[in-house]
Amino acid sequence: MLRIENVGMRFGGLWALKDVSFEVERGTILGLIGPNGSGKTTMMNVISGVYKPSEGEVQYAGRRIADVPTHDVCHLGIARTFQVVKPFANLTVRENVGVGAMYGRLGAKRSARDAFARTDELLEFVGLARVAGRPASDLTIPDRKRLEVAKALALDPEILLLDEVMAGLNASEVDEALHLLRTVNERGVTLIVVEHLMKAIMSISQRIVVLAEGKKIAEGLPQDVTSSPAVIEAYLGARYVKRQAAERERKAAAPPAEPPA
Amino acid sequence: MVAVPKPRRGAITGKRWVFLVSLGLMAGLLFVPAGHSDYLNLTFRNILMYAAMSYGWNLIGGYTGYISFGNVAFFGIGAYCSAVLSKAGVDNLFADVGLALIVNALFAVAVGLPILRLRGHYFGIATLGVALGLTDLASNLDFLGGSGGASIKQIGEAHFTTYYYAMWAVTLACMIATFFIARSKLGYAFVAIRENEEAAQVLGISPTRYKVTAWAIGAMMGGAAGAVFGAANGFIDPPTAFAVDNNVFPIAMAILGGMGTASGPFIGALLLSGANELLQQHFLKLHALFFGGIIVLMILFLPRGLMYLVGLRGGMRRWLSDLAVFRV
Repeated sequence: MLRIENVGMRFGGLWALKDVSFEVERGTILGLIGPNGSGKTTMMNVISGVYKPSEGEVQYAGRRIADVPTHDVCHLGIARTFQVVKPFANLTVRENVGVGAMYGRLGAKRSARDAFARTDELLEFVGLARVAGRPASDLTIPDRKRLEVAKALALDPEILLLDEVMAGLNASEVDEALHLLRTVNERGVTLIVVEHLMKAIMSISQRIVVLAEGKKIAEGLPQDVTSSPAVIEAYLGARYVKRQAAERERKAAAPPAEPPA
Repeated sequence: MVAVPKPRRGAITGKRWVFLVSLGLMAGLLFVPAGHSDYLNLTFRNILMYAAMSYGWNLIGGYTGYISFGNVAFFGIGAYCSAVLSKAGVDNLFADVGLALIVNALFAVAVGLPILRLRGHYFGIATLGVALGLTDLASNLDFLGGSGGASIKQIGEAHFTTYYYAMWAVTLACMIATFFIARSKLGYAFVAIRENEEAAQVLGISPTRYKVTAWAIGAMMGGAAGAVFGAANGFIDPPTAFAVDNNVFPIAMAILGGMGTASGPFIGALLLSGANELLQQHFLKLHALFFGGIIVLMILFLPRGLMYLVGLRGGMRRWLSDLAVFRV
């Protein structure tokens, strides 16, 4: 459904992404992980058409994303959330989501009234109905994350890119968020989830792509990816991997010495 | 079934009752000509004119968040439309306004497409350049009368009254149009761009298309006011058409009343013009100082204008905390 082919993204002399390829199948949940600065958010920006890739291409349903203006990407069925949330601060929560429902994939067919009817359903669904009339600037962090998801859902996406929507949430809020994302996925929306919380992303993703320093270093099922030496190295450093290997060798060579009496 | 609280009204247009009060005041202004005073007619016609220009500025500056310093260009073009028609032998207010609407819409789209790519101060300076450029252009075009100006044939005896009603109608149209635009999908696109252009874009809004739309509708409002003014004034020259006052007052009025509200420009125009009139009578040399002082105080303590106070819940504390937001 979504094909990323040899994508490279250069900022000045720095390649934030280099030669990254992967595919996302319809109806699945793909986790995108990597240490800080590995290019996850850049990848999101490339897929959602905010950046035009310097190399390679992103194809969605047979179309090159780079040819589509940013404001039309959501009309193709691609929606995203921002890691640094961008609410319309002076508008109410309901108006924030309403704008998405008015101008998203199905927006052209909706009057303002219909858009708000759709909005009210969504607010109920993500659990924001209780603050529908409050200005977005009044929201707590978890509610701002919910709002970000609700705005993206209001675009009636086929594929939804979630950039760290669980960062800063406590354990029970993370569980709620995971439940919400699973429900969204069950309704037929394909998800690409960028997340730092390993536990969360391991439990929700069907496949995982790992980026480090702009390159794809691993791809596969969650359990396979976490045991890959390249991934451990990227997260914990080459010395750690070497020490682990040395330790294993030492253990294999000689049984542990008796503690001194 | 959880009771869903009613959404807070007014984030997008200001309070509905304030708008009804404004409509009531407008109705009251219908009776100004009954005073049979040319002074009153002229004073209130100016207030209405500024209100209409302020509505025009409000769409791009207040709703869409692109602070323009050149909206007087549209007013001047409107006034010159009347002059050109008068020269061609057409003395009809509807024709004047109609031509001004068409010319301004076309001009705004042509100019808006390049300069609305700029943001912030750069956009402001570019708009100022447009206004200054037009002043020079008008001074050098002979068929517009050059720097000597052009006269416009007046209609009939009771022309003060006729022109007054014409300006009243233009202002009412601007007011009602603003109210309905703000509540439509179009209005939400404008406000979304003001709040966060990138976020708006990701939600499917083409910034260029909607910025140019806001700019062009605002241009038509200013142009209509200019056309009536030109006809009413009977004479137009570049310094009158593109006067600095006509550029600054509408902005100050929208700020005083409340940017991005459907009543703000009208309330602002009533108060500021009223204050200006009184100050001019009593402190002829100092009135500009007072005027500037009012604007400075407003920006410091009520940057969202008087409409903000009307909608304020939570009293002094909320006001102070909101003020802090603007001081970042």
